[in-house]
Amino acid sequence: MAIACAAVYSACFASAAFPLARSLNRSLKAGRPPLPISISANPSHVDPLQLRDLLAAANYSCHRFPALSPDGRVEPTDLGKLHLALSHSSIVVSVFCRSKFLAEDDCGICRADVFPFSLENLLGSAVPASKNDLQMVGFGRAVSDGGLTASIHDVVVNPPLQRRGIGRKIVAQITRILTSRGIYDISALCSENERLFFNACGFGKDFLGSTTMMYTRTASGCLNNNEVIQPAGRMLLLVPPGQEQYMTTVNIAQPETL
Amino acid sequence: MHLGASVASSASSLCRTHHLACRFQDPDRSWIYRHSELIPGKRRGKVVPLRANFWESIKSGFGKNDNTTQVVEPPTSIEEEETLPLEIVLLERTRPDGTFEQIIFSSAGDVDVYDVQALCDKDNWIFQVGWPRRPLGKIAASLKNSYLVATLHSICRPSGSEVNDKKQLIGMARATSDHAFNATIWDVLVDPSYQGQGLGKALVEQLIRTLLKRDIGNISLFADNKVVDFYQNLGFEADPEGIKGMFWYPRY
Repeated sequence: MAIACAAVYSACFASAAFPLARSLNRSLKAGRPPLPISISANPSHVDPLQLRDLLAAANYSCHRFPALSPDGRVEPTDLGKLHLALSHSSIVVSVFCRSKFLAEDDCGICRADVFPFSLENLLGSAVPASKNDLQMVGFGRAVSDGGLTASIHDVVVNPPLQRRGIGRKIVAQITRILTSRGIYDISALCSENERLFFNACGFGKDFLGSTTMMYTRTASGCLNNNEVIQPAGRMLLLVPPGQEQYMTTVNIAQPETL
Repeated sequence: MHLGASVASSASSLCRTHHLACRFQDPDRSWIYRHSELIPGKRRGKVVPLRANFWESIKSGFGKNDNTTQVVEPPTSIEEEETLPLEIVLLERTRPDGTFEQIIFSSAGDVDVYDVQALCDKDNWIFQVGWPRRPLGKIAASLKNSYLVATLHSICRPSGSEVNDKKQLIGMARATSDHAFNATIWDVLVDPSYQGQGLGKALVEQLIRTLLKRDIGNISLFADNKVVDFYQNLGFEADPEGIKGMFWYPRY
């Protein structure tokens, strides 16, 4: 485990030391100029309203089985629940970009021929961005028990900026923080679409061979008298009966000798 | 390292239940189930108060009328009692030697980490995906920071007793959650000599019930092959709609 830590830290030192070289390489490959982004692990940098808009732009739902409208859009995320989730996530990572870079980028203007150290750019980066100027373009969070396990949720990047390595940076940041806290059992629930992405981030099948399971029991047909359902996205989950039911149905077993 | 005072007799635990029920007037429900809160006079666990206030101050600017974020009114007491099965007597029986035994389910999270370790060390428990021996400090931290810790205790009172009851931890399950959307159930353990009586089922069902009642809809877990059937019977589905869990592999 110490070796793993060292490898992760050396990887991040390397990328910190040579950011320009790596990003230039990437831009040559993709034909697009590198996007100047800033990444933050400070939860107070996240504006829940911006986050909700980002989730909507990516058509992403925090419910695993979301209700879809006829045109395939998910419901907007409940703001109150978003607050709760943010305040109880151990790690919250957000990626920002200045609005002006996004505007130029979206227009498809080729900036590869612009010398990266032009006066305009230098002055632009010298002036600190005001809060209004920064747009959230990526997000990810992790929930952990602070000792043994952690699970990553809601890794989202604005669709026009996907496939540029932003999502991978988010996941790398999350795992870096977790491993620095001594948590190595990091899981992520992935749909079919997300599986390739997490593979590329260094995730794989459980080496212990466990089966991922989710509670999906729904009411079949009409509800009985004491059945209660709880909606979760499009699923109407059946709430297991209360303890009174348990008391009446269990047979008092033969006493065990301990 | 004790996480909470262990209760010697069922009588006092019932008193504690009543006492704790009174404390749950806190409008921000996220406080309620922190088991560090339930131990009077001790401050433990994550320092959530500052964050909660921070979010309250931001929330006040939003016009959306959402009853989960309203600061003003505490939930009605009837609703609270329904969703807070702090301690329930699951079953009672009298053994042939006259000992009277109660099995108590509790979601108060009042559990001694040494008891947990002893429980794990017993042979043949089958509900958990490979549990290697882990440092006590880590176990304690993970219990403290879990959203829900449910326990089963057996309380034995010898017949004709003036003697104190003997309380023993015989089962545990815990769930981590972000309090809003996702929860993962970890570490479902039942003492081997108490297995086969539906106690594991009761433990998990109560966890699910509590989570659903708090509107947490994504309930997941990672099951060892031997217990996939057990969880299927409880309403879990393997890889639903292709959703799989993936795990981080350290890169060398």
